[in-house]
Amino acid sequence: MNQEHIEQYVAGRMSESEAQAFEDYCLANPEFARQVEYEQRLKAGIAQVARGSTAEFVRAPHPLPWTIAAAASVLVALVVSLYVFNSGTRAVAPSILAAATSAPYDGPSLRLALVRGSDTAPSLPPGVVRVEIVGLFDMGHQYSVALDRLEQNKKIDTVATLNDQNPSSPVSLVVIVDSRQLRAGPYSLRVRKQASGEEALDFGFVKY
Amino acid sequence: MDFVPGGELSRRIRQGDVSAESELIRQFEPGLRVLLRRRTGGDHGLLQDLVQETLLIVIQRLRGEGIADPQKLAAFAAQTARNLAIASLRKTERQRTDVDSEATDRKADSTQSVDRIASDHEAALAVRALLRELPQPRDRLMLKRFYLDDHDKELICQELDLSEAAFNQALSRARRRFRQILEERGFAKRDLLSLGL
Repeated sequence: MNQEHIEQYVAGRMSESEAQAFEDYCLANPEFARQVEYEQRLKAGIAQVARGSTAEFVRAPHPLPWTIAAAASVLVALVVSLYVFNSGTRAVAPSILAAATSAPYDGPSLRLALVRGSDTAPSLPPGVVRVEIVGLFDMGHQYSVALDRLEQNKKIDTVATLNDQNPSSPVSLVVIVDSRQLRAGPYSLRVRKQASGEEALDFGFVKY
Repeated sequence: MDFVPGGELSRRIRQGDVSAESELIRQFEPGLRVLLRRRTGGDHGLLQDLVQETLLIVIQRLRGEGIADPQKLAAFAAQTARNLAIASLRKTERQRTDVDSEATDRKADSTQSVDRIASDHEAALAVRALLRELPQPRDRLMLKRFYLDDHDKELICQELDLSEAAFNQALSRARRRFRQILEERGFAKRDLLSLGL
């Protein structure tokens, strides 16, 4: 018996007869059985931690420097050019929320993650801000991102929505928010896995 | 601890050797915990009860009539534990069928959930400590993918751009550290203490 058998047993991938033979072996080999029990406990512990939130699996212990290349997108360029263009004409309202790609980006940035026990919302810097949403993302799926303004009367006003967004990595999804077009107040980016029954995740921030 | 063959343990217990009973407990308890953990769905109280009940039945049997093939003592103990787990499951199912009272159900559920919380609490604390110590987000995600999402190693390696060797190394490191954290917190000692027959 080896580690592979332990993994199969703990993951429930053995047939009943294989599992019984494995268990008989455990009874005859107490030290091996202890190894198996630690594996069972690790799996159970991870399930328990994840039951509250999976944020702990992606949250960095300390704020990380931007290790991923700063992103700006073709759409950002479009947003900016639209803004520059529109600042003269004011004919079309520029986008508030835009998708991002991995092109280099030197502007302000904000990182949003679900941190349990945190009672202060991060603040959105001024300007066209690259916002990295940290969570667990399925690279095979697309996500919708909605920018909600949270009114004092608990009313939620959706000010912009982006659909069909691809995560930039299994742990991040990047969008661009034009802070200059937002009134001061609390906001939330609501991220939902499209074509799934999964609940949306809300990442709050404040615009001062 | 040296393994004592079932035949020798059976003979000594039959002769009234109390130290042989202690050896039997030390020898079989870890394996019984593994077997019953799988069958008790994280109910720590039930797990402890069934481990003790199994050991008690095996010892009493050896003190009395003995077993047909003493060389297969481990298999006998394992089967006893399985039978007890099945009986316990049936009993629970019967109670659920017989008693159609919402209040009773609520009470039973809350008792079970308290046990479950107690059961997972130590492991959850150790996992949290482990996650805090892992510097790479990739390592934390790897644990989630492997243990929670039950993804294949190959798939995880592909997704996280890891070689199989790097994956195994990181996993092995995490396991060692998890065990160390639990041992530092007294997990092993507490479990041994709770097993007095």
